[in-house]
Amino acid sequence: MTHLELDSVKKVFGDPEKEGVVAVNDLDIDVPDGDFLVLLGPSGCGKTTTLRMIGGLEDPTEGEVRFDGTVVNDVKARNRDVAMVFQDFALYPHMTVRENLGFGLRRENNDMTDAEINERVTEVAEMLEIEELLNNKPAQLSGGQKQRVALGRAIIREPRLFLFDEPLANLDAKLRKTMRTEIDELQSEVGITSAYVTHNQEEAMTIADKIAILDDGELQQLGTPDQVFNEPANLFVAQFVGSPDMNLFEGALSERTDSYRIEMDVASFDIPKRLVDTEIDTQDVLVGFRPQDLYQARTRATDGPDFETQVRVVEPVGTEAIVHGTSALGDVTAKVGRFHDLEPDDQMELTIAPEHIYLFDPTTESLLKGRLVTERAEGGASADSVEA
Amino acid sequence: MATDNSDPTAEYRRNQSWLYDSKTGGYVRKTAIGLLTLVIGVFVLFPLYWMVATAFKTTAEIQQIPPTVFPENPSFEGFRLVIESSIQAGGYAGLVNDLLGITVTSAIDINLLALIVNSLKVAVGAGLIAVILGTGASYVLSRREFRGKNLLMSLLLASLMFPGTAIMVPEWELISTLGLFNTHLALILIYGAMTAPFVVWLMKGFFDDFPDSIIEASQIDQCTPFETFWYVLVPMARNSLIASFIFAFLLAWNELVFALTLLDNSKFTVPPGLLTFVQGFNTQWNVVAAASIIVSIPVLAGLAYIQRYFVQGLTGGAIKG
Repeated sequence: MTHLELDSVKKVFGDPEKEGVVAVNDLDIDVPDGDFLVLLGPSGCGKTTTLRMIGGLEDPTEGEVRFDGTVVNDVKARNRDVAMVFQDFALYPHMTVRENLGFGLRRENNDMTDAEINERVTEVAEMLEIEELLNNKPAQLSGGQKQRVALGRAIIREPRLFLFDEPLANLDAKLRKTMRTEIDELQSEVGITSAYVTHNQEEAMTIADKIAILDDGELQQLGTPDQVFNEPANLFVAQFVGSPDMNLFEGALSERTDSYRIEMDVASFDIPKRLVDTEIDTQDVLVGFRPQDLYQARTRATDGPDFETQVRVVEPVGTEAIVHGTSALGDVTAKVGRFHDLEPDDQMELTIAPEHIYLFDPTTESLLKGRLVTERAEGGASADSVEA
Repeated sequence: MATDNSDPTAEYRRNQSWLYDSKTGGYVRKTAIGLLTLVIGVFVLFPLYWMVATAFKTTAEIQQIPPTVFPENPSFEGFRLVIESSIQAGGYAGLVNDLLGITVTSAIDINLLALIVNSLKVAVGAGLIAVILGTGASYVLSRREFRGKNLLMSLLLASLMFPGTAIMVPEWELISTLGLFNTHLALILIYGAMTAPFVVWLMKGFFDDFPDSIIEASQIDQCTPFETFWYVLVPMARNSLIASFIFAFLLAWNELVFALTLLDNSKFTVPPGLLTFVQGFNTQWNVVAAASIIVSIPVLAGLAYIQRYFVQGLTGGAIKG
């Protein structure tokens, strides 16, 4: 039960005065008690370093890590009372599952008798359905079983914080989804504040209460899954979150009395001012369409732009298909229904509702207009249906 | 590609050779390899065989020319003399006379059991010193970055290249100054120092390959650095530690020159002790051979039991951490 804060945390590897590599720069994150924070970003963005600083495995070069308001910078990992699940699970190979699970409890100063420890081990093993494996060595376990043991080793102690370092990266796709749900369930059940590192945006969206998106050591956005999807702080977040990738086109913007007029190569359209929160004072904009928000004009009419697209590839994913096409605007990716009659080289007409359109400033790359959820028509896309 | 009139499998045969792809070729290869193995085996094992054969010969047969390959009249004379000598020198003659009614008198005055005990003492001591110091040093050399680390590693390697006798004189001076002359402690220290660098290199290979995340997991599991070392690293390093220990043990067990110069008769270890059986023209080689066999038995038995770990330990760093 811990309120975790990172205050202007900076980590430089090597000599800070000379050619040190800045892994994390000026990071502020506040995680309320019991929340599930996901640190999301591409490889090398500093997310694992951040997690290790929370766990006490790295010392911050500057800034403060606080647990419940207490600065823990100089508290060693073993005294922070955190539990961590490692990417490679890091089970002790010379110990049985039972010994692996009980090891932390035995090392702790807790006056537990052997019988009590054993009871707790059995309890956790039952919860994770690994009670038949208690006498096996890690080498005899499958990936998913190892994962469960690693999880068990973390939850057995009821620590202040759970830290997960890409715990699902070494599992196959199906197991990854099951374990993801289990971790989520488990965390809600025990209610312990957690930090979870992943580069997989789908994993992040499904599991997180709050997502911190990092790039190149800098925090890009801290928000709920809905926020980062619908109101990405900048172009990086918009492109990193959501799959397939967002379509981006250049456009010119001019102001009308109660709307903004966007001129693109083949299509022009108006966005009513009530849909835009910010003052826009730039002439050039980047226009973003989520593939999920594009519809075929023959199935639905919108107030937004229509444009002709020549189909290149159709990738069916069950009831919908991801269609890659070429339009006068450039390459377009759309996720559409009613795709069975679509063949390569066919023409289709795509359209998008104005409230779903993203606008970015091309120079600062910051968001001018996000996707409005409230005005969303039926079903369509939401953060829940984002797929990898 | 196959031409129309040929066997359709011909294409797969184009790359075949008689030696590797025909049955006769296979037999030829296996025979050649077998013969080569046999020659090497004889080359390596013949001295051992000769020792065993000699132990079962009588003095007369040993001096026969040409020598016999198999003992013609196998006799336990050599073993009898060694055991009698040990009983007498060990002061058990009276006891044996009382218990078994056998009077033991021996012209030789060497107690083999005492030699073995002395050697065990020295070899175990040296092994422990080498393993404890070497492991600690290699852990630091593997896990920490500091100036002069490579120099230190090179120095340790270089020290392995010196023949022990090259530092005989300074060692002798050192031992005299410390007042350790004619003590087993002197040998323990010297052998420990001689083998520790090897242990450092062997164990460093192990620690270099050791996954960081396991050490970190133990920190998260609230281990102090010592607890990490003791509960996690040492059990996982078991095979390498055993290999290191055996290496140091064997060197100490076999070392002759230092033992001969730093000890006198009363404290001899096995190698100089065996040497005292060799007495100029009067040497009874069957006794020497029998004594050699007897002293190898404890080591052989120990090694047979432990050799599995030894091989795993030596290759452990190279193949999998």
